[in-house]
Amino acid sequence: MKTVRVWFRKTGAACYISHLDLTHCMARALHRSKIPLWYTQGFNPRAHMVFALPLPLGMAGERESVDIKIEEDKISMEEVAQRLSRALPPTLPVTAVTEPVMKPGKIAFASYELRLEPEGETADELAAAFAALLEQPEIPVEKHTKSGMAHFDLMPYLGELRWSAGEGGLLLSMVLPAGSEKNISPFLLTEAFEKQRGVSFLCRAVRNNLYDAERKIFE
Amino acid sequence: MIPGLEKILLKVQKPGRYAGGELNSIVKDKSGVDVRFAFCFPDIYEVGMSHLGMKILYSLLNRMEGVWCERVFAPWTDMEALMRERGIPLYALESGDPVADFDIIGFTLQYELSYSNVLNMLDLAGVPLLARDRQGLSQLVVAGGPCACNPEPLADFVDLFFLGEGEEVDCELVELYREHKRRGSTRAEFLRAAAQIPGVYVPSLYEVTYREDGAIDAVTPREGAPAKVKKRLMLDMDRSYFPESFVVPYIEIVHDRAVAEVFRGCIRGCRFCQAGFLYRPLREKSVGVVNDQCRSLCETTGYDEISLSSLSTSDYSALNPLLDKLLTWTKEEKTGISLPSLRVDNFSTEVMDKISSVRRSGLTFAPEAGTQRLRDVINKNVTEDELMRTVTTAFSGGWSSVKLYFMIGLPTETLDDVAGIAALGQKVVDAFYANPDKKKGRGVSVTLSASGFVPKAFTPFQWEPQDTIETLREKQRHLVSSVTTRKISCNYHDADTSFMEAVFARGDRRLGPVLLKAHELGCRFDGWNDYFSLARWREAFAACGVSPEFYANRRRPFDEVLPWDHLDYGVTKEFLRRECERAYAAVTTPNCREACSACGAACFGGGICHENR
Ligand code: SF4
Repeated sequence: MKTVRVWFRKTGAACYISHLDLTHCMARALHRSKIPLWYTQGFNPRAHMVFALPLPLGMAGERESVDIKIEEDKISMEEVAQRLSRALPPTLPVTAVTEPVMKPGKIAFASYELRLEPEGETADELAAAFAALLEQPEIPVEKHTKSGMAHFDLMPYLGELRWSAGEGGLLLSMVLPAGSEKNISPFLLTEAFEKQRGVSFLCRAVRNNLYDAERKIFE
Repeated sequence: MIPGLEKILLKVQKPGRYAGGELNSIVKDKSGVDVRFAFCFPDIYEVGMSHLGMKILYSLLNRMEGVWCERVFAPWTDMEALMRERGIPLYALESGDPVADFDIIGFTLQYELSYSNVLNMLDLAGVPLLARDRQGLSQLVVAGGPCACNPEPLADFVDLFFLGEGEEVDCELVELYREHKRRGSTRAEFLRAAAQIPGVYVPSLYEVTYREDGAIDAVTPREGAPAKVKKRLMLDMDRSYFPESFVVPYIEIVHDRAVAEVFRGCIRGCRFCQAGFLYRPLREKSVGVVNDQCRSLCETTGYDEISLSSLSTSDYSALNPLLDKLLTWTKEEKTGISLPSLRVDNFSTEVMDKISSVRRSGLTFAPEAGTQRLRDVINKNVTEDELMRTVTTAFSGGWSSVKLYFMIGLPTETLDDVAGIAALGQKVVDAFYANPDKKKGRGVSVTLSASGFVPKAFTPFQWEPQDTIETLREKQRHLVSSVTTRKISCNYHDADTSFMEAVFARGDRRLGPVLLKAHELGCRFDGWNDYFSLARWREAFAACGVSPEFYANRRRPFDEVLPWDHLDYGVTKEFLRRECERAYAAVTTPNCREACSACGAACFGGGICHENR
């Protein structure tokens, strides 16, 4: 038995499925691919699957990964990649299969890129409003946690926010705490913006990469 | 993708319902397509995607050269509101193209309470609701499914109905359409020709006249349409088409598993059960064919559970051989087998050990009535002894919860019969405690589930009045008060919805205006308790001057012309009447394997009627 890390992208229609649905989808693809997997024992045998970090609904992912346990004497990593690619829908392409270097628990940061496209106003107006938002002394947000609703200020987390205004709208890039310890979704910022503006815009978001506390890339 | 769609997908619950792009969904090059078919299921994605008939016809139509069949579901109310606000029309999932642009718009009618969704979907598509307002050949609205056996309430809206099983007739119709499209025929020319295909019913070619007392006087065909339209069916189930793959949804649906069909029809003849008469005669698939189909489905979908579907799977004559054959590979591949329907009288631990679903979902049985007399009336050939033996076997096998399904409001039912439901529940509880092998340290839980009886067309009870809502409620209360232990819990269906179901199940064309009005008043998702409003429906009936009680609560004389008399499902009216009279006398009828009762279905020339008994 050997643990391997399957890297894939989440694109197109697949962005609209929840993490729970993704796990079902992956389980079916594994079953379909006939990859010799190591199963948990017991009445209801399950294949082992550990996703690095769930992606919020509606976000694309460039470097998503899931760890699976294979029977290494029966299949190579290249073959896992090939078979799983064939079994997954085109919106979930497999990019590589590697030996895990870091534990998913080490993940501490994630980098994101967002594109906000104005609806019913110009890109300049949207940019001006965004600049105004960032000029506020604080950006109060709330999020669900295990212990109920948490209220906090988002501003201290935006040190690495870069943004620019272009023809089509605003381009944002940021690095935010991510992982099991502390997880801050970039949608908190767009939701706060939306709330301040009282209007809506189209937001395309992608998570590009994951890092540990030392900012080493998750591998 | 439709412009603007992306902008709303993140604002709705479960956007995966509306995005398409699933594994095994079929995308064709439009330049090579000359007939586009929008297959519409008038309920949400999770319900529609679970439906086997849709999967069969989807694959079958897409096998046809030049034909592209796509899926369409009813958007949930949050999505509908946004679509209407932003002017996004109903679209098909594969191409994202508006449904209004399709040649054929097909609906499957699985339950009467989905009719308001049919209208709402047409409206959301921007397709004129009334058949007579649709011009040209395209936007042909067709419908099939079990409710097409009494399609009259939808006659104003649907251009043609398919009676019976669609595998052959749907393809024949599509070919005819293609030919007429090429020729540039008018809609009327096409419909006249379509009416000549066996199994196709074109309601506009029939004139209905009424008597003063409100009953139908006559149904008269015009322009060469046949006086009786006979259902179509597949006689050789082994040769009949079954898809090699299913579209595999991203999101979880109601029945998220591979489904194999082991037979069509049913030998039983329970007198309340419409499916038992509509799909006659019984036609089985052979073990090898079912096994191959299961294997191929599991390979192409990756599902790790197979459901063996039919009206009563434990009646399959080769159930044990089939299970053994399946087990030769399913164990290895960690695939479970489930049976959706179990009967009380042929439950065995042997079967139980081979299937996985029962452990998870618990045991359910359907005695349907609480006393032997009433079970004889409905021809549910299950005795109390059999039920007790079955639950005792189950309790010995480690089960401790059982769910029993019943109907209330059955013909000839008295309050004693209703109390009999509770008494039967009590006997099951007693059987648990009397059993020395029961699981230690655990109590028993018995759930009694009672739904209101809805008389349906093509059953021996098609002439019966439904109990009024008040009577059904009284019986529900009587049931609850007859239960004396907390080990038994009761639940029942809302009588209001059963009433509306009864109205449409035996309705006629005079319900068309009511449906239209109800749609205008905002009726939709009537099968969903949160959305059903009897008050709104009553308003629609009142506005049209139509009495719903006339349809639901009236006893019809045997010689009355029924709205579906010009449709032929094989079973004869004489047989149904005979069965009704036997019901009144509480006399049971043997099943098709024991003896033939000459129901009429032998006319199709196949199935169990022509096998050696
Ligand atoms: S004709 Fe006889 S065997 Fe055939 S379905 Fe009817 S009752 Fe059953």
